[in-house]
Amino acid sequence: MQDRPTAPELLDAMAAQLFTEVRSWVPRERRFQVLVLANLCAVIARELRAGATPSLADVALFRELAGVAGPAPAPEEANAEAGEAARELAWLIRRGSLDGELAEVIAGLREHVRRKLEIARPGYAD
Amino acid sequence: MEDLGRLAEGVRAAVADATGSDPGAVELRPIPGGASRETLLAEAGQRRYVLRRDPPEAESAVPMATEVRVIEAAASAGVAVPAPLHFEPAGGRFETAGYLMEHVEGESVAPRLLRRDQFAGARQRLPAQLGEALARIHSIDASGVQGVVVPDGDPALAACELWEATLDEVGEPLPAVEAGLRWLRLNRPSPPARQGLVHGDFRLGNFIVDGDGLAAVIDWELCHGGDPAEDVGWLTIRSWRFGNDERPVAGMGGLEELLAAYEAAGGARPDPERLRWWEAMGNVKWAVICARQAHDHLTGVRPSAELASLGRRICEPEWDLLELVG
Repeated sequence: MQDRPTAPELLDAMAAQLFTEVRSWVPRERRFQVLVLANLCAVIARELRAGATPSLADVALFRELAGVAGPAPAPEEANAEAGEAARELAWLIRRGSLDGELAEVIAGLREHVRRKLEIARPGYAD
Repeated sequence: MEDLGRLAEGVRAAVADATGSDPGAVELRPIPGGASRETLLAEAGQRRYVLRRDPPEAESAVPMATEVRVIEAAASAGVAVPAPLHFEPAGGRFETAGYLMEHVEGESVAPRLLRRDQFAGARQRLPAQLGEALARIHSIDASGVQGVVVPDGDPALAACELWEATLDEVGEPLPAVEAGLRWLRLNRPSPPARQGLVHGDFRLGNFIVDGDGLAAVIDWELCHGGDPAEDVGWLTIRSWRFGNDERPVAGMGGLEELLAAYEAAGGARPDPERLRWWEAMGNVKWAVICARQAHDHLTGVRPSAELASLGRRICEPEWDLLELVG
């Protein structure tokens, strides 16, 4: 174990300092890059806090939409497993196998995108 | 860009040729922005020009020589553009293929245009000016401009195929984009009554704006023949509203202002379903471009935290896409 601050707490501190102090040191025309880095720190902090929960939900959703079953992955494998399930689902959509239920697939995938937005851009889906 | 001194000499000679007078020593400064072209500001005393050329390891959708022909055609059609002064093929004075153009004073950075008081009047005028410029661009017969790619059949189908193929090249699974693309493939509008020249990247960021509004339309590197509604759809995606979500035209105005001016300038008003289709396709395009830029970082083609960060922005156009097709 590491001592406090935790990784998300450190990222919060980095984001705060980049957003305020560091930004003011940087020439105007380069400030956008500092904002990008500060925002990334804030995104990663939210991602770490959310843990494996969003990926586990995505695995279940992608399998349901693709009509396949499988055991829930261990938390440390959730992200890789979500990637695999996403690949399978993407392939089925592309080749038209899910055309009959495309409206349901679109509605379901909205929940997947909402989970990504909660981490990457909170408020965007409201 | 390692040898700007030699390039500056080439620019000086080209300016002398094009204008008939030696401008003196030329100083070059890169203008940040353009991803697939190198753009440099060339200053010689009071005279300012812009050099746009292929980067050394370039591969561009539209060759430089074609870009010059397109800009000349746009100028003839009455579109405000920076006038090209001189073209050099690869191996010439600009090393890679490139052209020198006049420098247009003004601002192109979106947040500044949307926030600064000095552009308040420009913000009022811009939506109608953009409609008028688009009508003129679309009046150009794309097949009459040598080198411009015009799709054989249905431009909507061509767009589906292009972005599916680009997504495959990137190799990341994006099921939300796939679902949107599938819907778009199954619900295509009829082929347009006529294909026109499509700018291909008509959005805030590619307009030079001064106090009076539109001073020039730039970045013609993605132009092609196609459905004129494509440019309107791309212009109005939520990402190019920069937070002013209720103002679809550049975050400044309403669609009706743009379309009324488009019609008044001779454009045929596209129906709302067609526009919605191309707005949804615009979101597909932006989502795939974000994925590709993040991929370019990951593969070391262009290592950059800024490009990497676009991998966390794919979900924004994905959300808007699903809102439009659901």
